[in-house]
Amino acid sequence: MKLAIIGAGPGGYIAALRAAHLGAEVTVIEKEEVGGTCLNWGCIPTKAILASTGLLAKTRRFKEYGLECNGEIKPDLAAILARKNKIVRTQIQGIRSLLKHRGVILKEGQGSLTSPRTILCHSRNGTGETIETDGIIIATGSRPYQVAAFPFDGKQILSSNDILNLTEVPKSLLIVGAGVIGCEFACIFKELGSEVSVIEMLPRVLATEDEEISAVLEREFKKKKIKVFTDTKVQSITAQPDGVHALFPDGGKIIAEKALIATGRAFNSEGIGLEEVGVRRGPYGEIIANRKLETSIPGIYAVGDVTGGLLLAHVASKEGTTAVTNALGGEKAMDYSAVPSAIFTSPEIASVGLREHQAFEQGIKIRTGHFQFRALAKAHAIGEIEGLVKVVSDEKTDRVLGVHIIGPGASVLVHEATLAIENGLKTKDIGETVHAHPTLSEALMEAAEDVHGDAIHVIRK
Amino acid sequence: MNPDELKFHREHTWVKVTGRKATIGITDYAQEALGDIVYIDLPEVDTDVDANSEIGEIESTKATSSLISPLSGKVYEVNEDLSESPEILNEDPYGKGWIAVIEIDDPSDADDLMDASEYLKYVEEEAK
Repeated sequence: MKLAIIGAGPGGYIAALRAAHLGAEVTVIEKEEVGGTCLNWGCIPTKAILASTGLLAKTRRFKEYGLECNGEIKPDLAAILARKNKIVRTQIQGIRSLLKHRGVILKEGQGSLTSPRTILCHSRNGTGETIETDGIIIATGSRPYQVAAFPFDGKQILSSNDILNLTEVPKSLLIVGAGVIGCEFACIFKELGSEVSVIEMLPRVLATEDEEISAVLEREFKKKKIKVFTDTKVQSITAQPDGVHALFPDGGKIIAEKALIATGRAFNSEGIGLEEVGVRRGPYGEIIANRKLETSIPGIYAVGDVTGGLLLAHVASKEGTTAVTNALGGEKAMDYSAVPSAIFTSPEIASVGLREHQAFEQGIKIRTGHFQFRALAKAHAIGEIEGLVKVVSDEKTDRVLGVHIIGPGASVLVHEATLAIENGLKTKDIGETVHAHPTLSEALMEAAEDVHGDAIHVIRK
Repeated sequence: MNPDELKFHREHTWVKVTGRKATIGITDYAQEALGDIVYIDLPEVDTDVDANSEIGEIESTKATSSLISPLSGKVYEVNEDLSESPEILNEDPYGKGWIAVIEIDDPSDADDLMDASEYLKYVEEEAK
């Protein structure tokens, strides 16, 4: 069977490899670079930069750790980005050789559907080629959402892609949008030395996270002197010779050297022939797909960001392999109840499952358990005591419904909770499982025990 | 400041009333119980505060704890020095470690608070 995939990001390239492994003849079409947003402008570049700024932050605390330093430690943005680029290049090569090794044909160009079984690929050198196939997976992803009132200019008003090209650290940076992207860049640029202000229209930062997580992050931002303005709308942003001017409806004004607009993502569903073959889209341009990832046209599947669901690389990958199973005649549906997510702010954040406010909205009676990292000896030993673990469980069945972590190692700790939710485990199961000492993992055990008031290292009033 | 001149709230804050203004802080017992204080989230000037409600948060290496207002009124002034050097709260809780000045709605509210000897008894009871 022949399968054609448009887009070689974490949805498309994973699907391609899986399909090839299962014996399909696979063509994947990519108009920019394999790895997609995740590898080229998102997850990986930002984590590479964060590794530099995280080390910088830690090194600046050398005295606390009993160290001496005779020189000055300071960031060199060009070198940080050179390191980032090298990492990205290596990963790109890795994906390319995997595709080659598995016999996947990689076409570099823009793919668009001409019928439910044919794709026209416009290559970069201007030639066109029609690819005939038995099934199609669309994995074209998303791009930074551009606000009509203040479009990106790539110089002063930046998208999350543009900001990775800065060669000098701006004196001041205004970030519009306190979602994942805005908050991660706030931490990066604060550490690099910018004065950072973050503007959020909603009442709190990271509005999709549990409220307690947002509250802790806002406090940590306050400690770092990152200015946060929630419940605040931006009226206009204009690039002037002396910087970017942001105006607010109350007459207030912020002038900053650069502005990062991080107000969301737009879906790459135009110009790929969807109208021509009748693939249905939603109000935001997202492709409508069912739990089997099939679109309104049989045999055409859509996965990842372009479907407008959870904009996470690992969700795209899981959808990619699920779509492959279905495209090759199998039967598999997506289940989103235990999808972990990680946000690499400082401190780190990770969560899985139900937030407390969601439980309230859905009328589910819950219990919660909390544990502060500062009550953990290991947190003190490593000098990172900020944050907490919060467990949300079903009041009746004791099943773990959600776990929310802000603090050291959050992105690692969340997977024990994900396994628990995926398998319907109870808080007692986590609490009664032996956790090694001294580790940060003890925090999840204690938070699970706290659901029943049994945590050992919590002083009760 | 001599603790004998102060009034005390059960959430371990102290009050010194001068006319319509009340200076508040945390007690020596509170700073001792919290251990090394690393951060205080101060209330903002001009915000209205209610007695017995949270107006800020104190983080120590051991715990995070709510700062509870002993009286109702409007925040007139806050001790910004604490943002940079929260350890002052440990070093001098009744003096340089003052937290805020509140313009109180009703000065007689302070009469309901404990005096030094009552607070001492209260703390001894709580410690049992």
